[in-house]
Amino acid sequence: MRYDTITEAIGNTPLVRIDPSVHGLRHIDLFAKLEMLNPFGSVKDRPAWFMARPHLQQGAGGDGTVVELSSGNTAKALALLAGMHGLRFRSVTNRMRVPEIKELLLLLGAEIEELPGQSECLDPTDTDDPLTRFHQALSEPDSTYLHTDQYFNPRNVEAHATGTGPEIVKDLDGRVPDWFIACVGTAGSSTGVARVLREHDPRVRVLGLVADKADFIPGIRTIDEVHQVGLFDPATYDSLTSVTSQDAIDGMVTLIRRCGLLSGPTGGAAYRGAVRHLESVDAELAGTGSRRTAVFIVCDRAESYLSYVRRRRPELLGAARRGHSAAALTDGEVRAEGRAVEVGEARRWMADGDPRPLVVDLRGPHAYAALHIEGSVNIVDELFEELVRTGLPFSKRTPVLLACPVGEKSLRYAALLTRMGHPDVRSLAGGVVAWRDAGAPLVRE
Amino acid sequence: MDAPLYLRPRVEPPLASLLQDAPFLHALCDALGSPLNVLLPEVVAENAERFRSVYRRHHLAGRVYFAHKANRSSALVRRLAACDPAAVGIDVASLDELRHALGCGFTGDRVMATGPKDRDFLWLAARVGATVNLDSAGELEQLAHLVRRHGLGRVDVLVRLSEFESDAGPTGSGTRVLSRRSRFGTPVGRSGEVWEALERYADAVELTGLAYHLDTTAPEEKARALERCVLLMDECRGRGLRPRAVDIGGGFGVGYVDDAGEWERWTTALSEAVLGVRPSLTWRGHGYGLRNEGGTVRGTAALYPAHRSVAGPGYLDALLSRPAPALGRPPATLLLEHLNDLYVEPGRALVDQCGLSLARVLDVRPTEEGPARHLVRLGMNAGDVSLEEHGVLVDPVLLPRDGGGDGRRPEPSGGGPVGVHLVGNLCLEADLITRRLVYLPRLPCAGDLLAFVNTAGYVMDFHAHRAQRQPVARTVAVARGEGAWRWCPDEDYWPLTDPQGVPS
Ligand SMILES: Cc1ncc(COP(=O)(O)O)c(C=O)c1O
Repeated sequence: MRYDTITEAIGNTPLVRIDPSVHGLRHIDLFAKLEMLNPFGSVKDRPAWFMARPHLQQGAGGDGTVVELSSGNTAKALALLAGMHGLRFRSVTNRMRVPEIKELLLLLGAEIEELPGQSECLDPTDTDDPLTRFHQALSEPDSTYLHTDQYFNPRNVEAHATGTGPEIVKDLDGRVPDWFIACVGTAGSSTGVARVLREHDPRVRVLGLVADKADFIPGIRTIDEVHQVGLFDPATYDSLTSVTSQDAIDGMVTLIRRCGLLSGPTGGAAYRGAVRHLESVDAELAGTGSRRTAVFIVCDRAESYLSYVRRRRPELLGAARRGHSAAALTDGEVRAEGRAVEVGEARRWMADGDPRPLVVDLRGPHAYAALHIEGSVNIVDELFEELVRTGLPFSKRTPVLLACPVGEKSLRYAALLTRMGHPDVRSLAGGVVAWRDAGAPLVRE
Repeated sequence: MDAPLYLRPRVEPPLASLLQDAPFLHALCDALGSPLNVLLPEVVAENAERFRSVYRRHHLAGRVYFAHKANRSSALVRRLAACDPAAVGIDVASLDELRHALGCGFTGDRVMATGPKDRDFLWLAARVGATVNLDSAGELEQLAHLVRRHGLGRVDVLVRLSEFESDAGPTGSGTRVLSRRSRFGTPVGRSGEVWEALERYADAVELTGLAYHLDTTAPEEKARALERCVLLMDECRGRGLRPRAVDIGGGFGVGYVDDAGEWERWTTALSEAVLGVRPSLTWRGHGYGLRNEGGTVRGTAALYPAHRSVAGPGYLDALLSRPAPALGRPPATLLLEHLNDLYVEPGRALVDQCGLSLARVLDVRPTEEGPARHLVRLGMNAGDVSLEEHGVLVDPVLLPRDGGGDGRRPEPSGGGPVGVHLVGNLCLEADLITRRLVYLPRLPCAGDLLAFVNTAGYVMDFHAHRAQRQPVARTVAVARGEGAWRWCPDEDYWPLTDPQGVPS
């Protein structure tokens, strides 16, 4: 394989069979179309390139900006394509809720504009909708915006009708699968593939998956939101069902841990949705001696969704932490073993102690820089937690005074360090707030 | 008929037990007329306490200021005046609100004056020692001149900031958050002018904090503004100013509809009705801002998100607990570590479950669309309960005249769910109480009451008017007495154990 440009590597993704011992279907062969193996990492590489190509060829070398309402994958592909052609890329969205994706886009050079939330104090006559303003800006006479318009652009569908769909047929030796299952975002992939499959054989069944209305799955829409998509036509789907973020993560974990497919959440949702739908079909096929095939799409990869998983299923990421931890102490143990000193006593200790105590401020660096006890050092609680995990960070000969905002966290650490064998650790009672309220001096950096 | 699409209200005690007492509510309406607003002053104090418990959980000091504009009641303000002065204050947005608050027992030092202010308002606020929440450098100058000219004492001020999204300051996290344009506050980018003015008029005003109020339901935008304010507080201190509090405004939200499923089904059905794939859910196919363009739904629904899983104190808690965008530490931690007090100004959320609006059913008749849709005319108009004005969609509770519906007496016959359009008592085609087709468990009869629950926040009396000489709703405060509900006119309520004057 040798290419002149990375865009030539878009498409021709593999179709991989899921081991029946994983999905448990006895009369159906289930295949995953691995769109995550496109060069920019997702199913969106195809429509992004297909939609942008005419613009890029015209606009290359100019000072234009490619804009799209995209929360992730389309933005990623367009940012890279724009960059290759010397153009800028801007993504406008209110759906970008996964921090890694945001940061990845920034790394790719994208500019990101986030749409605001709904008005709390509603004015039903308000016409000043930021999205409307955005569209107005696009259509101003000498705007240099190149809007790919993925939710309405027929080239989004075309990209799949000329690529994804035919590839599936080719890899099934010219046959069409009995079921095609896809998550619906812009409806581009599902519509384009469905069209081609139906042209080959109208008996194909198409299952569209949307996110449960109260839930959020990055990349796909809820049943209400698909009605706002220009490319969405309910007639494309034999049925539409919803999936939850828990389905998505369950499916993702199965594909990753059992099949070696590094799928993201929508791939997982498609897998779960497919198996759930096909289970009853499989039961009916028992004894008929016939076999069926089904194909679902794995849109993108897992790596960008770690925080999404962490929020919903933290146990999948964190093995229990080991070592000393302040959180492991009970309130009773903290009260019994933590020593606190009042502000007045603390000041005397700091002035006359022999040796004088090391004062450790556990607050964040900005708070510390703004105002702190003179002579104190700043070790942010998160870092302190790491330090004490493996052992005492201070010599036992150095007395220590710990300070936090109200003296609660510091008391916990004082108890822990005492338990770890430090003979003289105390916590500032009432914390820096009490210190201030007592009129004791605080300094700025 | 289609399956009824209910949007049943969230009703919590003691409002729930008040609704059970239909004879009492009928007697009230018989005596005082329809429409009638009923308030539960005790609940506002309980709500304040819920906000306070969020403060305690995060070890934060500072006050909860009731945004008076949410309801013009005296009873609510007086009940709040009776709360712990260190914990509860009031946010007034006009001269009259200020006079009202003072008359209800708030001392000047518990008052925050916000909103656009004229000279009279500024003078009285300064005179009584209220904190003035400044909208602009111009307002600051006006205040300072008044203070100097009239020999008033130094006035505590907060500076209200806006437009955090275009801010390239240290919290810029690479992305730009667009926002709805706001007429209020000084753009952060121009705050320098205000700091200079504060220094110039140091004899007249003292900066005690920074403020913002963002009209959004999205915690992301608020967390960003909050974090920026914490950093700006340090900048102010660096200039020798001594601010103490960050005032994060209101907008904590209320859940009106109890069941998420009902809300989801209704809003989905609205899109489908707009697309024409199911019968209309509204008067003459109104789409609440949604429209059908070639089979695609366009526009945004001008609806208050009526079911909310997190609202009020819960929303504050969530906002304080989520990591801030640039520094990563939660806003509660930032406030505490930077030694800042927290002020909040809830309006709607503080009067959650504090009242209901009653309307007598005057007339019931079938529409030309057939018996499946009836017109129900109420002794009330759209100005008395401005559900549409605020995009609030929620079903009224039917309180039959004969006392049925409380389970004690048999339901009248002719039962079964029915779709009705609720029209008002004005001779105007536009006078609809709500444009939504409302499903009731059975057809009401003339003389029954409909209770609109949880209307105390904005909806009760925001736009009531006297144009057509229809009676404007009277308002009463009710409290649970020994075994029965007791009531008095709103204006006669005082937070004493026995409102009727019997010494306790
Ligand atoms: C991760 C992910 N999954 C699924 C989809 C849905 O694909 P389509 O837009 O073609 O319906 C998208 C696109 O929005 C996506 O980004």
